[in-house]
Amino acid sequence: MVITVRNPVGSVLYFILSLLAQSILYIQLSGLFVAAFLVLVYGGAILVLFLFVIMLLNIRHADLGPEAAPMIKPMAWVFGVVLLAEAVWVAMGTKARFDGVSENFGSVPEVARLLYGKFVFPFELTSILLLAAIIGAVVIAKRTLS
Amino acid sequence: MINITPLIPELFLLVMAIVVLMLDLFSSRRTVVVPAYVSMAAVIITGFLVFKFGGDAVRWGSNAIFVADSFSQFFKVIILGAAFLAIGSSFGTADRMTHHRGEFFALLLFSTVGMMFLVSAKELILLYVGLELTTIPLFVLVAYQKTNRASSEAGLKYLIIGAASSAILLYGLSLLYGYTGTTYLNEIAQKTAVYFLSHGFIPNAEGTTDLVGMGPAFSVALMMIIAGLTFKLAIVPFHMWAPDVYEGAPTPITAFLSVGSKAAGLAAIIRIFDGMLYAFSHDTMPNDSWGTMMAVLAAVTMVAGNIIAIRQTNIKRMLAYSSIAQAGYILIGVIAASKLGVASCGFYMFAYMFANMGAFAIVGLYAEKTGKKNISDFAGLSKTSPIIAALMTMFMLSLAGIPPLAGFMAKYYIFAAAIEAGYTWLVILALLMSVVSLYYYANVVRIMYMVDSDNKHHIIPSFPAGLVLALTGIGVLLFGILPQSILDMAYKTASSFIF
Amino acid sequence: MPADYSAVLVFIIAGTGIVVFTFLLSWFVQPRNPYKVKTETYECGEPIFEQSWTQFNNRFYIFGLIFVIFDVEAVFLFPWAVAFKSLGLFALVEMVIFITILLVGLVYAWKKGALKWV
Repeated sequence: MVITVRNPVGSVLYFILSLLAQSILYIQLSGLFVAAFLVLVYGGAILVLFLFVIMLLNIRHADLGPEAAPMIKPMAWVFGVVLLAEAVWVAMGTKARFDGVSENFGSVPEVARLLYGKFVFPFELTSILLLAAIIGAVVIAKRTLS
Repeated sequence: MINITPLIPELFLLVMAIVVLMLDLFSSRRTVVVPAYVSMAAVIITGFLVFKFGGDAVRWGSNAIFVADSFSQFFKVIILGAAFLAIGSSFGTADRMTHHRGEFFALLLFSTVGMMFLVSAKELILLYVGLELTTIPLFVLVAYQKTNRASSEAGLKYLIIGAASSAILLYGLSLLYGYTGTTYLNEIAQKTAVYFLSHGFIPNAEGTTDLVGMGPAFSVALMMIIAGLTFKLAIVPFHMWAPDVYEGAPTPITAFLSVGSKAAGLAAIIRIFDGMLYAFSHDTMPNDSWGTMMAVLAAVTMVAGNIIAIRQTNIKRMLAYSSIAQAGYILIGVIAASKLGVASCGFYMFAYMFANMGAFAIVGLYAEKTGKKNISDFAGLSKTSPIIAALMTMFMLSLAGIPPLAGFMAKYYIFAAAIEAGYTWLVILALLMSVVSLYYYANVVRIMYMVDSDNKHHIIPSFPAGLVLALTGIGVLLFGILPQSILDMAYKTASSFIF
Repeated sequence: MPADYSAVLVFIIAGTGIVVFTFLLSWFVQPRNPYKVKTETYECGEPIFEQSWTQFNNRFYIFGLIFVIFDVEAVFLFPWAVAFKSLGLFALVEMVIFITILLVGLVYAWKKGALKWV
């Protein structure tokens, strides 16, 4: 639905729905942190940004134009099927070798233990990354006044 | 507690980047000189710190997360050198910007830090975060000239391609983690090696052996990692972003992009592939399919880069295609997967840094002065500014690999390594392509010296730009005539690899 | 583990159910008598003179961008808050560094006037 709906705002709303469904899948796989992350960052922040962009562009129904190139749809089917076949092939050919996942794998405290323990350095580097992102956002998006 | 002394150079540079940022924020004088000189000084001091605190590793438990071995030191010197030269040649660019001058240098330093982490990371997550820290400031820097449409377009293209390639790389890394259950490169190497020793090598249809024996997911993981990293290096099937981005970005950033991020990506490839995969595969299977695949990539890259470069009229596009071709030569050293291969890669990158940074500095200077960017606009340069023309000639010939210059020695060692590893056909192709490349490099020289024009622009570089030109010129000459010291250093870098 | 969250599922189902139920209820009991004035968006207000899709001011955009970045930061704080007791001093120090660096970002954005409505 995200890519077939012609109305971009509707497509964003469907995207939120699919993210919610995805986060439920993650909860079932006991990836609670990832689920929370999806809802908070994607559902909350990034899609708001998407809506902003769409509203900024100020698209009207009439401006949406005709159907995209006719070749796109069959091509998309072909590539989709190939990708699916590849995924199945890979999944079949791989002998599952789970090296014992701990019992509370994926729970929030466990993520915390890893994030603030083993992965201190990437974690701190992430803050630098976010700082660089803030600077980038300001530099690029700030309207410059003379 | 964890011993963090090997991290001191990176930490210092980070602090300095924030200082540069704050300096611009809280000083009333809006001058470009202060943040630029502070950044240059910071880069030089970091260079010294890299040597002072080298040799050790940051560990978590018994596994190294971050190593400051001689290999990373060597590549850090190249990266810092590229950053220094890029800052030096961006005085003019930054001066013409009306806004956000200080951030320009701060972002450049952030990106440099990211590259330094990338070459030292021995752990997949740190590697990935380092890569992101490298590219995100670069997205901004590429799009820096907001009013310039080409720059904005380049920024957008780079952002989309960069994000897509990061996603592919991340998927590959997570598959690798799923396979081995660890993110430490040394453990991954051990586990795959143990797997091979216990299961034996499974011959495929052609009678050669390959890593497909691990099951298709493992191959997919490696393919994705290769695809992600070669995107960053602009190796041929994944090169299409490079010309547009190189053309649109501010010239010093183009230079930094083509040298710094290439060096960092190359180091990451060597670490992942030569450090862990070839470590156990090369002796047992000299014709393994991964090597062949990479060799084909290198061959296609050289052919496409060199042949398309001939037809370019814009000098930045020409240099962009030439840098694609150069990446192909460098990849040959990776494929050779020997001590000599790694050493020649390092030396090639070193020589390439001087020639490329110098060439881009001249292009930037010329465009600043005259606003012209076509190769034909360089006509008559030898009359108006003979020194600049002579330097440009040197850089072009070094890129082409003409004897007394650094580029020749670099190519020579790369080819020697490849022949030693048995890739004779690749070397023959590379030699042919070098001849092709001579055509378009020499064309620039021909236009500068042979073609007359009423061009009256006398180019006088400012002090920092002059410094950059002098340093690169000396570098190209010196390391062409006396390559031994750097080569010894480069050879030492390979000592941390087991082949 | 996922079973602990079945309460959330019950909430979702119940919440959706109540909304659907009330809508259906009003649909069934409402009188239908549409005429021109009644179908307008504001029955007793201004007549509408523009589509509801107006162009947003692009000033919102930078706020959106900065919000996303600090939202990501908040996500990193979240596991720390959950497991605060067991993590101890080391994580506290880490977090102080993390927040200090992002504070630099905030100061930067503030000083640059990115948070001002210009």
